[in-house]
Amino acid sequence: MDGISFSIKTGEIYGLLGPNGAGKTSTLEMLEGLNDIDGGSASIDGLDVSSRTHEVKKIIGVQLQANEYFDRMSLSELLVLFGKLYAQSPNPIELLKRVNLEDKASAKPAELSGGQKQRFSIACALVNDPKVLFLDEPTTGLDPQAKRNLWQLVRDLNDSGMTIVLTTHNMEEAEYLCDRIAIMDQGKIIAEDTPQNLILEHASEPPKAKLHGNIEDVFLALTGHELRD
Amino acid sequence: MITPLQFHLATVFLKIFLRDRQSIVFTLLFPLIFTGVFLFSDGEPDPIKLGLVNQSQSTLAANFSDLVAQEPLFDVTEGTLVQLKQELINGDQTALIVIPTNFEDAEEPSTITLLLDAAQVRQADAIAKTLNNSLISIERDIREIEPMFSLEVEDVQARPQRYIDFLLPGILAYMLMNLCIAGSGFNVVEYRRRGILKRLFVTPIQAKDFIVAIILSRMVIILTQISVILGLALMLLEIKIAGSLLSLYGMVILGTFIFLCIGFFLGSLAKTQEAIRPIVALTTFPQLILSGVFFPITSLHELLQPIAHALPLSVVVAGLRGISNDGTSLLTFNSTSIGLGIWMAISFFVAVKYFVWKEVAN
Repeated sequence: MDGISFSIKTGEIYGLLGPNGAGKTSTLEMLEGLNDIDGGSASIDGLDVSSRTHEVKKIIGVQLQANEYFDRMSLSELLVLFGKLYAQSPNPIELLKRVNLEDKASAKPAELSGGQKQRFSIACALVNDPKVLFLDEPTTGLDPQAKRNLWQLVRDLNDSGMTIVLTTHNMEEAEYLCDRIAIMDQGKIIAEDTPQNLILEHASEPPKAKLHGNIEDVFLALTGHELRD
Repeated sequence: MITPLQFHLATVFLKIFLRDRQSIVFTLLFPLIFTGVFLFSDGEPDPIKLGLVNQSQSTLAANFSDLVAQEPLFDVTEGTLVQLKQELINGDQTALIVIPTNFEDAEEPSTITLLLDAAQVRQADAIAKTLNNSLISIERDIREIEPMFSLEVEDVQARPQRYIDFLLPGILAYMLMNLCIAGSGFNVVEYRRRGILKRLFVTPIQAKDFIVAIILSRMVIILTQISVILGLALMLLEIKIAGSLLSLYGMVILGTFIFLCIGFFLGSLAKTQEAIRPIVALTTFPQLILSGVFFPITSLHELLQPIAHALPLSVVVAGLRGISNDGTSLLTFNSTSIGLGIWMAISFFVAVKYFVWKEVAN
């Protein structure tokens, strides 16, 4: 990270975009209290992340890129377990209903499809009814149906008042879901605004009159066309 | 002391274990095989297979070889030097004695040659001594001399004790160490590699909660395994335990605690799944040799003894052996209790302090 600074408003969906290695996940993990912050500070809901990590963890929900869980435990057992970790006893069936998995209550994580696994990860992140939900590449590897389904879920959660911070490689996703976007490259934030303003500013004139510029054009205009790992 | 969260987490780990049928079968199979091996290897030692070549024609030699043949310690085969030498090389004989041609006069000392295979070198000393003793008593018979004295072995503490009684507490402690390190060290590395630990530590859980929960659940599993082994040993091998079973279980619990904590530490030390195996081997194997599992530490080189006594396995072996062989109680205060206390503190401290839940693979 190289001196980044940004703020996320309560109730918005904030997207972190960037090529591989730009520092999206590291930024997220610093906010989640998983990575040490060696310079500067971060605070969530008025709580300093470095000094009050324990309290911050109580008010956030996190979906990690790797979503593996203990073997031989059913989804509802895992949700009860995660509830206990927050000293809460959520109703696992209610949580599974929110992510459309109520018929999988006694299934094991290994039996789920990619999209179901992502939705289950979100259910796990909701056990403590978090104020802020962090999603790290939630739709990577999903088919279009599963992707749209997950977008709807994120929208619904946001409508219920939850602040959502997500990272993505999917420009369509950023444009569709996010109220504001930060584009990162090499540990720096190189642009931050609403999708519309970013398009106006960086891709208002599409290369050919017939083509309409979108966030992907913005992204490529800013980070260049070369392949990253 | 144990929070509801730690308790719940422990039941989760127990559930995970109980649903793993394969590992249950194998954990129960191990004590069965262990007891079986001792059941069949116990009992009177086999006679030493002794080849005898009589090159003398004298009556004295004939008498002598008859007496050797009657000795219950030996299983004697007579034959020619060439034939028996080949058998010795093939391993069909353990040793070979050759009565020389000039073996005729009881008044003139003569040399009996003992041939051994170098592969038997470990036993050579014992065989030579046994043979020498037998030869002396045979000589007495021939010369009709009464022995001046006889040696009667008597245990100062007047208890009938066999090697297996000495061995069992040692083996028990060694198994405890292996079960524990496999139960904590290997599990932690696997959970970390798959990101399961990272997911857990996104929540307000603390390393202490996780460690205490694994210790609780593994304690239940290990006490069950140890009970099976102990039950079989008591019934089938007729092991005698001088102290109380309660003390013995108490000591097992303390040992389990120490070794599980060491396992956590090794699991945090190992960055990958490949690294954990050599790290564990490097920790457990020297202890198997140095900690008095098979023979007392006092039989080691003097310079090694203080180090050997300080090893965690030595402390647990000494504790179990004290209760099992000497009838001490768990509450008996001695150097072993101090060692146990120190190792419990050190192991728990390093387990919690150096616990790594983040992915360290890259």
